[in-house]
Amino acid sequence: MSFKDALDSVRFVVTAEVGPPKGTDIKEMIHHMELLKGRVDAVNVTDNQSAVMRICSLSVCKIALEHGLEPILQMTCRDRNRIALQSDLLGANVLGIKNLLCMTGDHVSAGDHKGAKPVYDVESVQLLRIVDGLNNGKDMAGNELKGATDFFQGAVVTPEANPVEPQLIKFEKKVRAGARFFQTQAIYDIEKFRGFMEYARKFSVKILAGIVVLKGAGMANFINNNVPGIRVPQGLIDELKAAGKEKALDTGLNIAARHIRQLKEDGISDGVHIMAIGMEDKVPVIMQRAGLL
Amino acid sequence: MIITKKKDFQELMENIKNYKSFFLIGCSECAALCGTGGEPEVKAMKEALEAEGKIVTGGIVAKTGCQVLGTKTELKKYKEEMDKAECILVMSCGAGTQAAVEIFEDKPVYPTNDSLFLGNMTRFQMFDERCSLCGECILDKTGGICPITACPKGLLNGPCGGCKDGHCEVSPDIKCAWVRIYERMKRLDKLQELCEMTLEAKDWSASQKPRSLVAREEKKR
Repeated sequence: MSFKDALDSVRFVVTAEVGPPKGTDIKEMIHHMELLKGRVDAVNVTDNQSAVMRICSLSVCKIALEHGLEPILQMTCRDRNRIALQSDLLGANVLGIKNLLCMTGDHVSAGDHKGAKPVYDVESVQLLRIVDGLNNGKDMAGNELKGATDFFQGAVVTPEANPVEPQLIKFEKKVRAGARFFQTQAIYDIEKFRGFMEYARKFSVKILAGIVVLKGAGMANFINNNVPGIRVPQGLIDELKAAGKEKALDTGLNIAARHIRQLKEDGISDGVHIMAIGMEDKVPVIMQRAGLL
Repeated sequence: MIITKKKDFQELMENIKNYKSFFLIGCSECAALCGTGGEPEVKAMKEALEAEGKIVTGGIVAKTGCQVLGTKTELKKYKEEMDKAECILVMSCGAGTQAAVEIFEDKPVYPTNDSLFLGNMTRFQMFDERCSLCGECILDKTGGICPITACPKGLLNGPCGGCKDGHCEVSPDIKCAWVRIYERMKRLDKLQELCEMTLEAKDWSASQKPRSLVAREEKKR
């Protein structure tokens, strides 16, 4: 079943993430793909995540296809103008890449080429509109395409943003621009997320809750102090602290599994998006503990 | 106004090391307000150059250094001083420097400043960039706050995921442009307008360089 069909069904959908490496040695990445194969519905391939230069998302999506995984091409507006975006999208589509995640992209100042010129010729809402146009056989300038694309396009939303109202206005613009599914920034407060979902359910889009494994109390505190749009509640930090250094990661995996189980059993979201960030080998463990395997 | 910053003096000395004598041109407009090319700065530059063993043959603070014809007229009475100088040093912005390049066809012209941005003066010699001169103003749609300038990504349809407690992922010193726009639209009771609006991608051909403009009506003969 394709990712799109899975979302259309009543099944709880699971996506994971593959981060392309910096360099041509792809052995470890292929190993991660093998671990995820047959276990998740699709894998997101990040696009020079955190503005750190790596193998491009498009070619890794193609490799994922060849390894029997359904890819979700993450496409950011940071590095390409409207010509390059559309050209890459047409290229992706003919290579069999059907799922897209349209994003703005972290600013170059976060990455490893700080002197780079940030592009942002268009942004995520406009990119979604562009994709909608390509799907309808027209490019952004209104020119007829010889063959339309057939993308299933999604976007991101940050339910825990502070302030949240401007984010929700943008979320609604993304819905109107044609986003069919959303993957959220990492969430740790299920009750708060339930509130967001009550609002989001008004729109006919599918929503996958973002799950990021906490490796310990230190990571949780770091997130709270430095990462925009994510808040780890004190209760979880205490739980990780109480587990002690050796058991911290295991506790983090348990927290992730517990959250996924609750999201599924209470029917809160349509699925989850697990961002392992260097711990791809732990994704099957989390899924097993969540009762998904 | 055009915001300028003095180049590091040692860097300037390196740039002009092959010349011995200089004529200085400041500007009474932006550069004077920035403290980079008014009377006191031209005087200080003269002293600093002389302390380095250079000769300053003369200098002026042009009324509007970027105005080519006006500056040329002002300079006329300094012919002797200018002739004696091997090099012209311009203490204003890049436009002022290039006005001098047009005036002094046969002499090297060097800038003493770096030109930074079109700025608002918020306090004495404190400047903020609020307009990017994009050629197609959208302030009518964004509550009078320019996201093309105030947002490091120039986003047109709302904040990115990098907004933390109302501040920008690029620097906590930058307040998120879209949170500011949201707050202002809310105060003006225009949130509905903000929610319903999706701005089209910008037509960057409006800022195709180099730009020129003829604002006057040509006189009929």
